[in-house]
Amino acid sequence: MALLEVTDLKCSYALDEACVRAVDGISFSVNPGEIIGIVGESGSGKTTTALSIMHLLGDKANVSGKIVYNGQDISALPEKEMDRLRWTEIAMVFQNGLEVLNPVMTVGTQVAEPMQKHCNISPDAAKVRCADLFSKVGLDRSWMDAYPHQLSGGMRQRVLLAMALSCDPKLLILDEVTSAVDAFTRKEIRELLYDLQCSRGMSMIIISHDLSFVSSLASNLIVLYSGRVVECGPTRALINGPRHPYSRGLVNATPDIFIYKDLWGIPGDTAGDTPTGCPFYKRCTQAIEQCRQSPPSLKPCGEGREIACHRGGIATLMKAADLRFRYTLPDKKTLQALDGVDLEVHEGEVLAVVGQTGSGKSTLAHVLAGILCPEKGTVLFQEGNVHEGHNGHRFGGIQIVFQDPFTSTSNRFTVQDAVREPLDINRIGNPDERLARTRDVLELVRLPSTAQFLDRYCSELSGGQRQRVALARALIMKPRLLIADEITSALDVSTAANILRLLKGLQNRRGFAMIYISHDLTLTLKIADRIAVMNAGRIVETGNAHDVMLAPHDEYTKRLVGSRIGLCCHEHPHKPEGTAPEKTPAVLSGEDRQ
Amino acid sequence: MRIVSFLEDTAGSAKKIFSKFSIEGKIGVCGIALIVAIAILAPLISGYSPAKITGGSLEAPSSTHLLGTDELGMDIWSQICYGARMSLFIGLAVALIAGIGGGALGILAGCLGGTVDQLLMRSVDILLALPSFPLLIVISAFMGPSIFNVILILVFFSWAKPARIIRSQTLSIKTNTYITAAKNFGATPFYLLRRHILPEVLPVLFVSIISITSYAIIAETGLAFLGLGDPTSKSWGMMLHYATGFKSIYFTPFWQWWLIPPLVALIFLLLCLAFIGRDLEQVLDPRLRQAGGA
Repeated sequence: MALLEVTDLKCSYALDEACVRAVDGISFSVNPGEIIGIVGESGSGKTTTALSIMHLLGDKANVSGKIVYNGQDISALPEKEMDRLRWTEIAMVFQNGLEVLNPVMTVGTQVAEPMQKHCNISPDAAKVRCADLFSKVGLDRSWMDAYPHQLSGGMRQRVLLAMALSCDPKLLILDEVTSAVDAFTRKEIRELLYDLQCSRGMSMIIISHDLSFVSSLASNLIVLYSGRVVECGPTRALINGPRHPYSRGLVNATPDIFIYKDLWGIPGDTAGDTPTGCPFYKRCTQAIEQCRQSPPSLKPCGEGREIACHRGGIATLMKAADLRFRYTLPDKKTLQALDGVDLEVHEGEVLAVVGQTGSGKSTLAHVLAGILCPEKGTVLFQEGNVHEGHNGHRFGGIQIVFQDPFTSTSNRFTVQDAVREPLDINRIGNPDERLARTRDVLELVRLPSTAQFLDRYCSELSGGQRQRVALARALIMKPRLLIADEITSALDVSTAANILRLLKGLQNRRGFAMIYISHDLTLTLKIADRIAVMNAGRIVETGNAHDVMLAPHDEYTKRLVGSRIGLCCHEHPHKPEGTAPEKTPAVLSGEDRQ
Repeated sequence: MRIVSFLEDTAGSAKKIFSKFSIEGKIGVCGIALIVAIAILAPLISGYSPAKITGGSLEAPSSTHLLGTDELGMDIWSQICYGARMSLFIGLAVALIAGIGGGALGILAGCLGGTVDQLLMRSVDILLALPSFPLLIVISAFMGPSIFNVILILVFFSWAKPARIIRSQTLSIKTNTYITAAKNFGATPFYLLRRHILPEVLPVLFVSIISITSYAIIAETGLAFLGLGDPTSKSWGMMLHYATGFKSIYFTPFWQWWLIPPLVALIFLLLCLAFIGRDLEQVLDPRLRQAGGA
């Protein structure tokens, strides 16, 4: 039986005029000995949930829903009986702050106070126990006589933890306990909580925006957004394959999960009010009309996971099955460039296709873009076949940016001619609109949109500028999927870095999906969500960028990972015995960092 | 509108190209302009009709006959003026027909590829392998002398070169990814031709038109000199033919005003064309260097 069961918890704050709904129908349960994590950005209703379980919200809040603790409905419990439950049964560790502790009492007294009050322990015994607790949370007992303002933030957090543990509760609610502490304390707190769970079978609800901290402890995760559960399920599965765009955004914004990758937050701000539709509608990369009209309900999606999304989670944007393509060489021999490639691209993700030169990457890019027709196999894009539809001709289709910036735009074209070419070809808008769009998109790729620049010839531009022009030309068609075929390989390191960051930034902001094709593993790790490793026309390994890099399964991937040259300061193993890729410095350094 | 802007563009780029010319190139352009002016203004500046007997036979140059007269008493200067018309007309007509036609075939072969390409390129190979001048003589002798026939024969022998050059140029343009990109955006073949291929091949085509012009003028003169030209026409080649046909002309002083003027005019015209051709090639060289393929 569940220790705590929360059903349809709703909570709104009555302000002077408006009514803010902080929690909007949350249900979950905590089993004995289980650790549940509640994650979400600030303002998603995490703390309100905790406080409403504890009945600590005050008069201005309007709470409804059922909260059953140990078989007893505590949602309507009178304050007096609730008081008995607090500390001894359910204790809460508050987020560190000066106002949480009484500034005129020593911290020792404050920790001893609930013990005396709730467990009927004598003051002396309480003091002894308090000293025990202090050493347990890693504080020297001499600090018992200190006042809160004399302690550092991390120490105060430990005091609060000691306080919550004082009455040996069965359920511990931790609200952002690590947000103000340094990395060492964070790790110590984690170890402590882990011990508590192991030794005493304590149940916990860990509330935090720190996904790595939560995921290291919790067995189940609940992702909150705007007071609603958008996704919940077993931690490992959720972190490795988030299904809701919001969960994916959170995972992507967590530095510990993709240690190589640049950090990119979820674009946009928390929606103030979306009275009718999905709360994530405005920031979602795959919203459809239905999302604006009605909020999605939480539905099971297998493996104990549940998700609230009208589109059933992150949708598949493109699906390629069994692609085969052959080149005929001059001497009548054939070259199997694609040999049964299966590929999926999801909405709003960056999929990197990595492989050495000649592995069929560019051919794959051309086939996926619909430029080359495969001998066999199909490419479905938004349920339509790529080779029958006209995805390059329309807005919201597929666009491709090519490798060589010097041939991808004509020397004779001015910047304006080059960028607006797709509009000219498809006769979209009148000349003024075309010009306006050209300017917009040039600003997007951080090129000047002055008349002078518009009239410059592409041949007068540098490689980086021309690649931006090519990028602008692709973006003017507002693609849902952008295929970038080795776009930085012809550029110098600095220009390449600029282009790559620009591209990733645009991808993040505009929410299009991207297939990034490269032979440069290190570079792709900076931006890729998933990596597909390609060798001799086949995809030998696909997965989370982090996993592919740190724990490659396929022999070829191992070789690829091991082929990186370290800097002068790294160790270069000349002829390592057995050339075990696991032993290469690249992998080791990655693990060390983890 | 589009045509006007295209013309403006052309004028602009012509000016740009002219400014890059060497002194010889500029002389060439001026010389051609002079010859064209003479040809156009022939009735005004010649003073006499070239086909009328307006003076005594074989008169030396004087104030009445600037360059003297020929055996029939026709004015040499007048013949030179009208001959310029003929030489330029034949040269340009052949060059334009062969150049534009060959260029179009080249683009077609380059764009379509496959059987059409093979067929065209093999015909080009054959034409280029044939010794053109002897055949020219045989065919024009067989077909009979007329301006139309001369043009036809010259066109037949000169379209192959531009066709081959333009084909390889088209092939090399086709490999640029901006073509792929434009196709991906939904560009029609006509669009690609208008916006991408034609502007790239036109300068190259222009160079080869100029070289065909020279070739055609020489060939026409040669045919006329051999007596295979149109006997009723007044061309420099016919003048040379008649002058050299005059018995023992070298023992008389007549060659000085009968033979020299058409020869000088011819050499001057060809030199001018050569200068222009050479400079144009230099100016457009980076593009030519791109050309690949067979």
